[in-house]
Amino acid sequence: MTAIPLLEIDDVTKSFGGLNAIDGASITLASGTLHAIIGPNGAGKTTLFNVISGTLNPTSGHIKFLGRDITNEPVHRISQLGMARTLQIKSVFPNLSVRENLWIAAQSRHGVFKPFARARNLRPANEKSDALCEELGLTDLANQKAANLSYGDVALLEIGLALATDPKLLLLDEPVCGMGPAETEQTVEKIRELAKKIDVIIIEHDMEVIFNIADDIIVMAQGRVLARGTSDEISNNADVRVAYLGDDLDD
Amino acid sequence: MNVTTINRTGIGAFVLFTLTAPWLLPLFVDAFWVDIYSEILIWSLLAASVNLLFGYVGLLSFGQALYFGLGMYGVAIGVEKFDLGFWPAFGFGVFLATAMAVVTGALAVRLTWHYFAIITVVFSLIFYFMALSWKPVTGGDDGMPFSIPPVFSMGDIEVSFTDPTVQYFFIVITVGLCYALLGRILQSPLGRAFATVRENDLRATLIGLNVYAIRLSAFVIAGFLAGVAGALFAFFGRYASSVYMFYHVSGEAVVWAIIGGIGTLLGPIIGTGLLIILREELSSVWEHYQILVGVIIILTVIFAPKGLGGLWARLVEHVASRSSHGGDVK
Repeated sequence: MTAIPLLEIDDVTKSFGGLNAIDGASITLASGTLHAIIGPNGAGKTTLFNVISGTLNPTSGHIKFLGRDITNEPVHRISQLGMARTLQIKSVFPNLSVRENLWIAAQSRHGVFKPFARARNLRPANEKSDALCEELGLTDLANQKAANLSYGDVALLEIGLALATDPKLLLLDEPVCGMGPAETEQTVEKIRELAKKIDVIIIEHDMEVIFNIADDIIVMAQGRVLARGTSDEISNNADVRVAYLGDDLDD
Repeated sequence: MNVTTINRTGIGAFVLFTLTAPWLLPLFVDAFWVDIYSEILIWSLLAASVNLLFGYVGLLSFGQALYFGLGMYGVAIGVEKFDLGFWPAFGFGVFLATAMAVVTGALAVRLTWHYFAIITVVFSLIFYFMALSWKPVTGGDDGMPFSIPPVFSMGDIEVSFTDPTVQYFFIVITVGLCYALLGRILQSPLGRAFATVRENDLRATLIGLNVYAIRLSAFVIAGFLAGVAGALFAFFGRYASSVYMFYHVSGEAVVWAIIGGIGTLLGPIIGTGLLIILREELSSVWEHYQILVGVIIILTVIFAPKGLGGLWARLVEHVASRSSHGGDVK
């Protein structure tokens, strides 16, 4: 019996006007390894995440998540299937407290169309949000509005929101972008820990971070998959160097 | 004293005032203020409907008068054309308003911000002009008077709006139930989901919430509240008129909601009360009193974005932190 792949991206193209942000990419990702997608600016990494998580529909091609076709499914339904995502520009609910942020994400698994239930009496979401506060070290800040948190704590909270939905797969879009060395290290540690429990795909510019934590690295350039392999293979790949540093001979 | 105690005391005083107003008010002011107070309570539901959409879900509607007007017409047409009794006519009005909110909402909540504001105005104008021109059914701008059926009658006992006390308390209880219902919904998971949609709709969909359905349910609840207000106002005035469907009425409700306090449960009552009292006191002596209303709006938006309700909340917190000797208050 062959295992169902985590994610199958089958000949996906996404074009904006005449420009193909993703140009016939095919990638199959297995469960159990930490995958990373890297590439120069404009390679189509974030667009690929948008297409996978449903915020954009692909122009052509198919995407399967755990064997199920999710190509044109709406975002919230894909989330309900067990895919969570953080954004490059940190995205939380600024005027809700940290606990309320985590609470509603947890409650999303139990349904919110319960207009006569008292929110504060719903044990599963209460317990989950408290546990996540504890796990992320945000308990002292639980009653603070998210808008008052430091940048690093917002990033942590955003990961918390994703985790509160009990995901099978977590997509992280530049999780250490804009962080100082200490915060970066803390976040990398957190991601490594997470990857033991759930599948993670990470987009990152910081090569050092990627080479440190990813088992499987996919290099994208101009909307296509340029190379794929372990960190050693990628760092020695001639094509990748050209993509990143430019080809002097051509232009 | 802590925040909860002060708020409970405040609400208790307000409820006590409301329950005794028919006897209390005539002691100090002219008896017609009892009617004005009933009117304030009714109109505050329309402001609450705007507030639910704008303050809790982040959708600014300039068309809530449509649902108010349908609530009115449902009652008037029900009584006048279909010979319905009090309760069926009431139900018919609220049903019409809510059903219209389902249909128009299904289209409107696909949009947000100014596009949403514009489409709500457009919907209300379409039906305003329909009501204006469809005279045989609606009476046009002459309105449609009707004679009010009794709320309850059995043998010789008849309870009817012709008794001012019945009318007053019927309005108080109905409005009270609407606020209780709204308060309950806002404390439910759905109420919390409303806030996520207002705060960050992309994040809300990414955590698996169906933002469209959440917006639509808020829109329908808002239509229901406006419909109840309209139905009550029809019984109160014994007539319906297309004038109350005009977007000017919707705009007034937006002003009441903003001054009263966007995103606070009882703010709309404060805002509606203040501005209706202002209108009653000033409009007869100063033709351009609306200039003052304009100034109040500008000052509110700049200095008290959460309106009078928000100021009250801040004041209460301040008092509470003083009395706990600057204790653990953020």
